Amino acid sequence: MYKFYTRKFGIPRLLYHKILLIMRLTTVILIASLLQVSAAGFAQKITLSQRNTSLEAVLKEIRKQSGYDYYYDSKIISEDQKVNVFVKDATIDQTLKELFTGLPLVYEIEGKMISIKKKEPSFLENVVNTFVDINVSGRVVDADGRGLPGASVSVKGKGKEVSTGANGSFYLKGVDEDAVLVISFIGYVPKEVTAVKELGDVVLELSNSKLDEVQVIAYGTTTQRLSTGNVTTIKADVIEKQPVNNPLLALQGRVPGLFIEQATGFAGTGIKVRIQGQNSIINGNDPLYVIDGIPFTSQLLQGTNPIVGYTENNPGNPLNFINPADIESIDVLKDADATSIYGSRAANGAILITTKKGKSGDITINANLQDGWGRVARKLDLMDAHQYLEMRKEALTNDGATEYAPGPYGDNDLNGNWDNTRSTDWQKELIGGVAKYTDLQASISGGSNNVSFLAGAGYHKEGNVMPGKFTDTKGSIHFSINGSSLNQKFKIQLSGSYLQDKNLLPNEDLTSVAMTLAPVAPKLLNENGNLNWQPDNDGNTTFFSNPMGIIFEKNLNKTSNLIGNSTLSYQVIPELDIRSSFGYTNLQSNTLSNYGSGFYWPESLPYLIRATTFGNSNVSSWLVEPQLNFHHPIWKGNLEVLIGGTIQREGRNASSINASGFATDQVMEDIMSATSLLSNYSVNSTYRYNALFGRINYNLFDKYIVNVTARRDGSSRFGKENLFHNFGAIGVAWIFSEEKFVKDRFGFISFGKIRGSYGTTGNDKILDYQFLSLYNPIGVSKPYQGAIGYQPAGLTNPYLQWEESKKIQFGLDLGFFKDRLLLNVNYSQNRSSNQLLNLGLPIVTGFYGIAANFEAKVENSGWEFTLSSTNLVDKDFKWISSINLTIPKNRLLAYPDYKESPASLYVIGQSLNIQRKFHLTGLEPTTGLYQFSDHNGNLTSSPVYDLDNSVTFTTDPRFYGGLQNTLTYKNFQLDLLFQFTKQIAQNNSLGASSSPPGAYNSGFGNQLVLILNRWQKPGDIATIQKYNADYNLYGSYYNAYFNSDANWGDASYIRLKNLSFSWQIPQKWKSATHLRNCKLYAQGQNLLTITNYLGLDPESKNSLRLPPLRVITIGVQIGL
Amino acid sequence: MFIEHRMKYLKVLFICVTVISLVGCKKLIEVDGPVTSLSSANIYDNDATATSVVTGIYTNLSLPGFQSGGLTSLSYLTGLSADELTLNKSNSDILLKSYYLNKLGSQLAGFEFWNNIYPTIYVTNSVIEGISSSKGLSESVRKQLLGEAKFMRAFCFFYLVNLYGDVPLVLNTDYKVNAQISRTNKELVWQQIVKDLEEAQDLLNVNYLDATLTKIVNERVRPTKGAATALLARAYLYNKDWQHAEKSSGELLNNSLYKLANIDDVFKMNNQEAIWQIPPVSNGINTQDAAAFIILPGGGLTSTPVYLSENLLNSFDAGDSRKTHWINNITLNEITYFYAYKYKIPTSGDPNALVFEYSTIFRLAEQYLIRAEARIQQNKIAEGIDDLNMIRSRATDRNSSPSAQLKILPKNLSKADALIAVKKERFCEFFTEWGHRWLDLKRTGDVDSVMEEEVPKKITGGSWKSYQQYYPLPVRDLLKDRNLIQNQGY
Repeated sequence: MYKFYTRKFGIPRLLYHKILLIMRLTTVILIASLLQVSAAGFAQKITLSQRNTSLEAVLKEIRKQSGYDYYYDSKIISEDQKVNVFVKDATIDQTLKELFTGLPLVYEIEGKMISIKKKEPSFLENVVNTFVDINVSGRVVDADGRGLPGASVSVKGKGKEVSTGANGSFYLKGVDEDAVLVISFIGYVPKEVTAVKELGDVVLELSNSKLDEVQVIAYGTTTQRLSTGNVTTIKADVIEKQPVNNPLLALQGRVPGLFIEQATGFAGTGIKVRIQGQNSIINGNDPLYVIDGIPFTSQLLQGTNPIVGYTENNPGNPLNFINPADIESIDVLKDADATSIYGSRAANGAILITTKKGKSGDITINANLQDGWGRVARKLDLMDAHQYLEMRKEALTNDGATEYAPGPYGDNDLNGNWDNTRSTDWQKELIGGVAKYTDLQASISGGSNNVSFLAGAGYHKEGNVMPGKFTDTKGSIHFSINGSSLNQKFKIQLSGSYLQDKNLLPNEDLTSVAMTLAPVAPKLLNENGNLNWQPDNDGNTTFFSNPMGIIFEKNLNKTSNLIGNSTLSYQVIPELDIRSSFGYTNLQSNTLSNYGSGFYWPESLPYLIRATTFGNSNVSSWLVEPQLNFHHPIWKGNLEVLIGGTIQREGRNASSINASGFATDQVMEDIMSATSLLSNYSVNSTYRYNALFGRINYNLFDKYIVNVTARRDGSSRFGKENLFHNFGAIGVAWIFSEEKFVKDRFGFISFGKIRGSYGTTGNDKILDYQFLSLYNPIGVSKPYQGAIGYQPAGLTNPYLQWEESKKIQFGLDLGFFKDRLLLNVNYSQNRSSNQLLNLGLPIVTGFYGIAANFEAKVENSGWEFTLSSTNLVDKDFKWISSINLTIPKNRLLAYPDYKESPASLYVIGQSLNIQRKFHLTGLEPTTGLYQFSDHNGNLTSSPVYDLDNSVTFTTDPRFYGGLQNTLTYKNFQLDLLFQFTKQIAQNNSLGASSSPPGAYNSGFGNQLVLILNRWQKPGDIATIQKYNADYNLYGSYYNAYFNSDANWGDASYIRLKNLSFSWQIPQKWKSATHLRNCKLYAQGQNLLTITNYLGLDPESKNSLRLPPLRVITIGVQIGL
Repeated sequence: MFIEHRMKYLKVLFICVTVISLVGCKKLIEVDGPVTSLSSANIYDNDATATSVVTGIYTNLSLPGFQSGGLTSLSYLTGLSADELTLNKSNSDILLKSYYLNKLGSQLAGFEFWNNIYPTIYVTNSVIEGISSSKGLSESVRKQLLGEAKFMRAFCFFYLVNLYGDVPLVLNTDYKVNAQISRTNKELVWQQIVKDLEEAQDLLNVNYLDATLTKIVNERVRPTKGAATALLARAYLYNKDWQHAEKSSGELLNNSLYKLANIDDVFKMNNQEAIWQIPPVSNGINTQDAAAFIILPGGGLTSTPVYLSENLLNSFDAGDSRKTHWINNITLNEITYFYAYKYKIPTSGDPNALVFEYSTIFRLAEQYLIRAEARIQQNKIAEGIDDLNMIRSRATDRNSSPSAQLKILPKNLSKADALIAVKKERFCEFFTEWGHRWLDLKRTGDVDSVMEEEVPKKITGGSWKSYQQYYPLPVRDLLKDRNLIQNQGY
């Protein structure tokens, strides 16, 4: 089979033969493995614990437990041959292997008979014995006795090296007797052994040091010890401690250089993600997401409910459709060394998500059941009815009004239409509910050395704090199969996941209503459950915007996400692997949105046209990445070379139809029942991407490491004249703690590494087809002469090109006292140029501008620190803490003609997120109106924009980070994560600018209690100008106040982001219940926030949006 | 062993080469345009797609609202600038207020037409360029489209030159050149308008065509040779080329396709007087004119804040049925407001509401008045009065008693009186139609005298300055294109 395979290889005409063969092979492996798995599952288990016992006695014991009989020449087993053997629940094969290790005996199992013979030296061994050099053979295994393929075995000081093959065995020729072999494998503690001919099994212990944890990087793996780049890894155990619905939220406060902010508290929230700052002025700043090697979209298409908040340009976040429980690890790649190999897509860094894979071994079943409650954690101190009415009356008096405006459009809160004695806490009524949280996960995994599998399923449901049944429900499945041929040369990995989400959130966020609705506003529902329109004496509606209208609204968003990928690899020779990954992703969403007639006030019902919006969107992509991996010792070090290519297509489709004219509410979900259809929009775009990439890594003595990466990219997003571009990076590391002088003099330094990298990456997160001269249809309901007209979409620039980022990083990694204290310091400076902006044109050209590359330059520099410490390790008690801190700085270095462009917002040398505000000096003592200082420092009541806005500051965080503590006592574990950010934000977004304190604003004019400190009469010392209901009178002052520094303030906070407390039930209970694992736990998210911020939440920074919820859950984790 | 390895290396090398050649292939990353769009590479190669671009111009013409500063809002915004419309006092819309009080500014308002017309000129230019270099079009379609594009370009420049004076004469799509263009002398712009229209006359079909440009239909919604002639007659008139004006309007007046319609039918769809009309492109609406001018009891002056000026109402002679048939009134809070009622069907909530009226751009009545003026200017006063009387007799209610009927003008008027009669007739005939009044005031030189009297009526203490007859250019264009110079006074 194998011969056939190689003979035909590379002949395209017979490609299908190969595919068929691979499929057949896969099937065989699958069936075989399943059989094997079941055999392993039910075979007789042997448990032995014999010290210094005679071999014969042990064999008898095995016979007793297993029922196997023996056949051997009694001469070969002597009476006084004593052995040690400890096995638990082992198969007969494992037991015998354990028993005979180191004995000059071999055994064979035939049926129920075991024959034992004396070991004969092989011909080869006989020959070798005659030389001085010896040939060493052996096997590298993990603590469970499983072979470790790919481990490196080298002769110390000689540079001679081999890698272990299938089953972890190796054979090293021509080694000096008594030479020292160094055996190492990523993630394990390296071991040194003296060379002997028959080395037997060399057991490598898993490294406890964080330095040796596997880090997934682009097209490979590394460890923190050997890495030349800036990579941070978060593992499943951390993710699963957090009751979050998006894996990105589990990274918050844990990764230096990564800033994450949740836009709202709704399920499916938009998320701001910035790796080392904002690089692009107007284009995408989302990182590249890669799931199991397949790039995943960073933006959803149109159609998602905007109330969840935005991720850059579109609402929602695509990673919301990834089940966090399926994730094994998340690796955050920050510098050029780590990301340059992703070329044009990685200017904003990369986040690699690796899903869980099956592990060989007995079948295990894991289940995790979690139930919880989410609430709004903080309320604003709003006026009660008394304070509100006082404000309103005073405002009208100030305005010189002689009466309260009558009629349904008048001052309903004062003119008698509304009951003045009511006083409702709308925060409690509208967002004071409990959002139920349920999360159920189950998985099964197992396998043999050749095949392992994992299958899992999840169910996740979140309720809402608003009244009404607005749930978000997700169901998901995930599987992974790994298979290898018997000789371990051919390998296949296949994994897939499917998630379906049903989100019923309404179109309105009642938070803004809760914050502004007058406390005297009428009750929301009538006795009969319909909306209360609070009719006046003539029967006219006075409560036009009844917030409970949302219960008559149907807003459904069904999204499904399919990700499938497989990797086939073949080891041509021990030094060379060829592999190819194939991936497919499909993100599909269908939406439906309508308002039942109960939503509309009675007067408008005669004119009601029932309408439903139907929408769908789809992002699908496929990818093929063939790769070659070559590694070989060269001189005294080890060289690894990777060459690969990428072919990728992404298609985006979306459309939306407005159907109207339904006869009744009941048929509004049936498009056939509509009398009129109108297309709102349609999107159809294709993105093609090709690349060639390579990496050369040379590691000398595990001390000096050089890593060079390069990529040549081509993308359909760019003009015909600039289709291709090259990117590259170099990273170097010096592990100085391996130097003799360090070891001799600074023994307390257990690890020390200096590293640096420089390279280029690109940003192609711009719209498709910008270089094409396109004509788009003009969507109208009644086309001109029945024909759809087209119009030009814009001017064409065939020279469009990537935005380019040049990144420099330096890092210092130090480990003290046997790595009990680890310090990691990183400095980065990223400069992004060739910014793709709109070149403004006079309209006489037909358009306001054209997309063009500008010599504008943005710099992001920053310091990142991480300090991890094992504070205390005791038999029962363990305490680990870790703190990380990031100090970022964003600066605009250059912007040509920036005075003329929209960039008049920006200032050279300052952050892109600069705010320029008026300076409020206080109140004019006699009029009680706001006063500001103008650009000459004089007082003015009407500051001029672009001239007098002299106060500048940035909304960028000054610094941010997290403090993590893990305390373990016997079976108890407590995890605490404090997250902190220092920043400035808008204090109060309550009043829309048209609603000064005192205005009726259709009933939405309530204010903070703080506003009571207003001017009433000359001589008053106050902070708020006199109340005023008519915007036309003093609205301009109020507007200027809104644009002044007084409306901004410190929004720094420290938040107990996550707390997790768990208890593992005692071993004897587990044994009694036959559970492998049973853990009870309680978890909390956003439990406590310490801040001086005046708004609702310093993270979402918007008091009109639902803030991130405080979620508390309890759960149980069971393993069988 | 060694040989086997070498073979494997060769195979691997082969794979490498294959991959590299695949990845380096330009074809793999080139994409066709999306199916949701057409591309300039092929849009003019096909009759249907080429036509769809020109149809797009008309769609956009019909689409924007009356306050947008699109071409259709000429009827509204210039009406406010002139003496036709009164803006409700409590209305605080800055745009409307600025036009009404003639207080326009380069950062305030007045440049909306500039901003909206130049993008249309870009489309006409790209059609002219695209079609001229295309080989895939059938001859009849090519001619008609080229004619329509040239006609539309002339139509655009006609309003630009009247509203702004000297304007950049943009005749191609090259943004690099156009971004540095300066203003062209009015005379040259007029020459281009006449040239485009004469060419359009040759190219355009005499008959009305459907959207495929292959069938003759009754729908008068695509420009024809008649439309080009109508605008050409107007262009000659504005340039005081009386002879040509008389000739061109005469061509239309002798064309059996066109006849004066009954006073109640003038604005109905496809009536015999219409030379070019635009149908609605949105469900539930007949014309934007009706939506903008008719004051409904429900919306009052909040929804439609303009009504007809005293000056206009006083201009009608006794017995003029235009005052009763084309004007209506409503009493709100005991005050009676008169509003334009040429278009009578307001917007309906019913998406399937039937359409009876089209917004009329060119109609035959104007040709009578053009010829009347041209003849009188050439001292053919009696013939000119005949033309005027054609319009006046249509505005007469034949069923009322002769004493209550609109008087026919005597043929022995002096030239000066006859010209005054023409002006008055134009005011009464074309109020709230396509900026006729504002443009007439300017071209006849009456603008200063009329507005000096009118502006103080609009606002106490208001005064008129002659520069206000031209609207300002947008400050944005002045910054982006240093060769553009603002109109004097702004």
